[in-house]
Amino acid sequence: MSAYVRPASIDEALELLGGDGAQPLAGGTDLVPLQSRGKAPGSLVDVRALLGDAIEPHGDGLLIGAATRVADVAGDGRVAERYAALSQAAGAAASPQLRNQGTVAGNLAQHVRCWYFRHPDLTCWLAGGDTCYAQIGDHRKHGLEAGDCISVAPSDLAGALLALDAKVRITGAGGERSIPIAELYARPREDHRSSVQLAHGELITAVELPAPPDASAYERAGERAAWTFALAGIAAARFGDSLRLAAIGLTNEPRLLDPADPLGDLPGLEQTGWKRELAGVLCERALARVSPG
Amino acid sequence: MAKLQKTTVEMEGRFEERWVLVEEEPPAWEDERPLNVAGTRVARLTGPRRVSGAARYVSDVALPGMLHGVIVRSPHAHATVELDVEAARAVPGVLAVLSPADADVTQGRNPIFQSEPTFAGAPVAALACETAEAARAGMEALAPRYTVLGFVTDAAQALAEQRLQEDPVESETGDVEAGMAEADVIVEAEYATAAQVHHALEPHCGVAQWLGDELHAYVSTQGIWDARTEFARAFELDPDRVHVTCEFMGGGFGAKQGATTEGMVAAYLSRAAAGRAVRVFNDRRAEGVAAGHRSETHTQTYRIGARRDGTLTAIEVTSVIANPMRGWIDPTTTPARTLYRCANVRAQAIPLLIDVEPSNAFRAPGIMEGTFGYESALDELAAALSLDPLDLRRANDVDVDQISGLPYTAKNLEACIDRAAELAGWAERDALRDREHPDGRKRGLGAACQIWWGGGGPPAHALVRMGHDGVVTVVTGAQDIGTGVTTAFAQVAAEELGLPLDRVRVEVGSTRYGVYAPVSGGSQTMPSVAPAVRSAAYDLRGKLLELAGDVFEVSPDDLQIVDGSFVSLDGALREPIVEVTGKLGKAQLVGTGSRGPNPDGMRVNTFGCQIAQVAVDVATGEISVERVVAVHDIGRVIAPLQARSQVEGGVLQGLGFALMEERVIDPTTGTVVNANLEDYKLPTHADCPEIVVEFINRPDPHASTLGLKGLGEPPIVPTAPAIANAIYHATGVRVRTSPITRRRFLEARAG
Amino acid sequence: MTEITLTLNGRERQTSVPEGATLAELLREQVGLTGTKIACAEGTCGACTVLVDGRAVLSCILRAEQAEGAEVTTIEGLGDEGALSALQRAFVEEDALQCGFCTAGQVVSATALLAATPRPTSEQVRAAMSGNLCRCGAYPGIERAVLRAADELAGAS
Repeated sequence: MSAYVRPASIDEALELLGGDGAQPLAGGTDLVPLQSRGKAPGSLVDVRALLGDAIEPHGDGLLIGAATRVADVAGDGRVAERYAALSQAAGAAASPQLRNQGTVAGNLAQHVRCWYFRHPDLTCWLAGGDTCYAQIGDHRKHGLEAGDCISVAPSDLAGALLALDAKVRITGAGGERSIPIAELYARPREDHRSSVQLAHGELITAVELPAPPDASAYERAGERAAWTFALAGIAAARFGDSLRLAAIGLTNEPRLLDPADPLGDLPGLEQTGWKRELAGVLCERALARVSPG
Repeated sequence: MAKLQKTTVEMEGRFEERWVLVEEEPPAWEDERPLNVAGTRVARLTGPRRVSGAARYVSDVALPGMLHGVIVRSPHAHATVELDVEAARAVPGVLAVLSPADADVTQGRNPIFQSEPTFAGAPVAALACETAEAARAGMEALAPRYTVLGFVTDAAQALAEQRLQEDPVESETGDVEAGMAEADVIVEAEYATAAQVHHALEPHCGVAQWLGDELHAYVSTQGIWDARTEFARAFELDPDRVHVTCEFMGGGFGAKQGATTEGMVAAYLSRAAAGRAVRVFNDRRAEGVAAGHRSETHTQTYRIGARRDGTLTAIEVTSVIANPMRGWIDPTTTPARTLYRCANVRAQAIPLLIDVEPSNAFRAPGIMEGTFGYESALDELAAALSLDPLDLRRANDVDVDQISGLPYTAKNLEACIDRAAELAGWAERDALRDREHPDGRKRGLGAACQIWWGGGGPPAHALVRMGHDGVVTVVTGAQDIGTGVTTAFAQVAAEELGLPLDRVRVEVGSTRYGVYAPVSGGSQTMPSVAPAVRSAAYDLRGKLLELAGDVFEVSPDDLQIVDGSFVSLDGALREPIVEVTGKLGKAQLVGTGSRGPNPDGMRVNTFGCQIAQVAVDVATGEISVERVVAVHDIGRVIAPLQARSQVEGGVLQGLGFALMEERVIDPTTGTVVNANLEDYKLPTHADCPEIVVEFINRPDPHASTLGLKGLGEPPIVPTAPAIANAIYHATGVRVRTSPITRRRFLEARAG
Repeated sequence: MTEITLTLNGRERQTSVPEGATLAELLREQVGLTGTKIACAEGTCGACTVLVDGRAVLSCILRAEQAEGAEVTTIEGLGDEGALSALQRAFVEEDALQCGFCTAGQVVSATALLAATPRPTSEQVRAAMSGNLCRCGAYPGIERAVLRAADELAGAS
């Protein structure tokens, strides 16, 4: 049972977020369900009203407020026209209600879907324990490479934004910074059990999209026709002659792949060889969709 | 004049002899008799209440002073547990704690709370608390400490260790060796089906309170009378002192039997809390681990011999099932023994015991799993013989039940096959498969048939009462678990009485009326209760005509009731019903009725054929079911709108079983890892195919006075093998394990 | 206890919020509107769907405090002065329900769909309703009902 507090300003929010167990709450679609799994944060700091919730022109690109609903990204005409991968990713994420309720920042920072991580009776390595149960257990949907943790990046938006070379604005006690989205994520480590590289007390405030690519596309495979996390999500974007290919669902963090050899260093694990094959097909298709002519 | 008679009653293929009260029944409606209300499309009577949020489900029941009841469940596959019961009792707001120390807290003679819980999800304690916070504090104070013990949750391991739940069951007819020797082709294949979880949207729940020495319980159940019996036994009460209500409940599909553990715990907690009302409401995880499931078939091995022309000469089937229903382990082999003609069948059902919850009947238990294997195997046989799969079925039609040797009351499987083939475009299926489709997917058709029971039988009773306003109320202790039987009962009563439907009300869902009806299971409600309703209406009709004769000074034999009016045979007299009933004052006319005995020396079964069209993205393993044609024979259809919904719903559950549903257990800890509705995948709107439903609608000449059979289970049976067969037709890839996920398809394709 | 003020089914009201309560719990326990159902309590099935400021959202994962100042519409708030809405009537006529437990959520999602897209295609209906699970499998009836209501409402205007 998380405590709830609603600060009146960003400064107040940052101060509260510095406290033990405090997490920023916007749509709540990730943090509130964690309660039923015994993984909820100690306190929820409601920042939704403090963050921008609109999509605005920004130079040659767009600026998306952190509290923008995923549904609004999916429904935005400019995004659909110029950043197709993002539009498709946002439209495929979760379910209609979760898209209405969930925000861009929440989607980017969400916890993994691994059924051991979310198991109410287990505390896996990623949750601060000692054992990665997936590696010794049922990891049919997990990643393609070995490591301390084999859970996979869940966020469709992150994959698309990585291919689109977006930046993320972050604010914290130490001030504001703007980083390429690739730097928002890294493989979890012993001393930082999360793929999301936000320091405690930091807050995503906006996503910056640069000038649009010549073409982009998102290919995705789920377990049913709708309301399913991606088994694999591949985003491709072509900027002139340069291609960017990004994957979620295959590695701990959204990963840029080499378009010439997308899965070269992702061998697949004992139970995920099939997923490697699937991902290969999606990479081919994504690249074909953005190729000229 | 009522009498007692001995008759055979059937429930899901189990037969037993019983004494039943038999009352006068009207003769069966002639086949050609025009029906005005029964058999027509009527909107669900309870629809407005359900659609407006006004219907009060068991989980909505809130009684004054009601306490939160929580069940504490073991997280381990096998463990011993120690609890600080006194510490929990001492927490303010905790009014009762039950634990393994309360060995007299039982269900079916077994203590509910185990100090050595034998599956993850097994109850170890329960608390009744004033508030949710008190419940949390109480559970914390209870501080369960587990010592984890060894377990086996993997069926392969259980098989290797010969861990059997009970003795295997074997049967043999004819001479299998000779039959195999006679065969031109023998096909051997092994199949497997995963455990499927009911996941009714309303979790198991119950509210119980004691008023004096009477127990009042609301239970989300399919069987209020079984619940009453269980409560009465557990508390050593006269059953008349137990009242069970289930007016609206959110789905069962077989999982909610009798008092349910949750209802029983509510009753015990209430008693321990000085009779205060207690609500127990499972969370979704409990629904995924401890509320019942369809047994996993670890393997179904078929060996089928046939002649060139498709005649089956011998069948051998061995089914290895994990935690099948105790004492009823062989329905998995029943399709092979009964669906098509074959005199030489050897069947063996081997029940493994694994450390998970006991299974609970899930819509067509055993038969559905077995049909997946058998109808897939026959499809493989058809391919080996280069025969049209439907022709293979046609070549082996049989009109007797091969287990008993008795003839069926009616069998129209061939008509189902022919009509399904027509509707599905079966003749053009190869052209569909061979065509290049613009979206690059491979398409194909697959078929499968079903056999199921569902003749119903006595005992089932009803009464109808009518007062001065000429409105009739049908009263019966059935429960409408979403099937729409309420509406069907109204249609039957209206038809028999000659009334317009808006003059008919129906009350179901309470034992208070004292009018017994069977559990909503085994597809038995319509064939058992609808004839009882008709019988009661017939009784009332006789009384009305007598009274009308008095009032209008004519012979009752000269009168009919047509569209709410008394009409003389010569047409000269036409008076609305209220001309007679208006004179009743405060009196009520009552008709009573009972379901008569089943025909001797016959078997009542249902048959159907479904054909699925799939589109497969071969490179990614994405499988879409585009269309399912379902043609079923259930005798006379009373409520076509609700019957169509039953079929659509069964097909969707079959689709889930075929493509996405499986309970996954972690090998290291023995716990379910997908006990939630995100990881356990139910079909969504977006997965729903076009579903074309038709009924043969020929009244069964021997099945009750209404000529109808049950529909609850038949439509779930053939869908999955039809889909598996369609995938094979479209792609040449045969997947022998359900669910056919992307992974299984891609791995099968890779060989 | 916290107090919140919200507009519920068209009327402003003030309600106290038990600690940790979700909007679904608030509606069912404090306000007594049990039409909204809790089937999973973790945002996976859609049975608890309500409209918050016009959007279909999952009330079981919305902290009640977040409904402060919002306009909330539940199943009880649809329809007109006690009569069923066109959509609700269509659900009944097309048998778009069986056990009915998911129905409130279905109707609310469909109401939001028709408000945004008055003449949806079959595909749009299926996509928009894909967050509302129905274990009984009433999807075909639900689709028929939504399309029928869309026709009726279009004819009426």
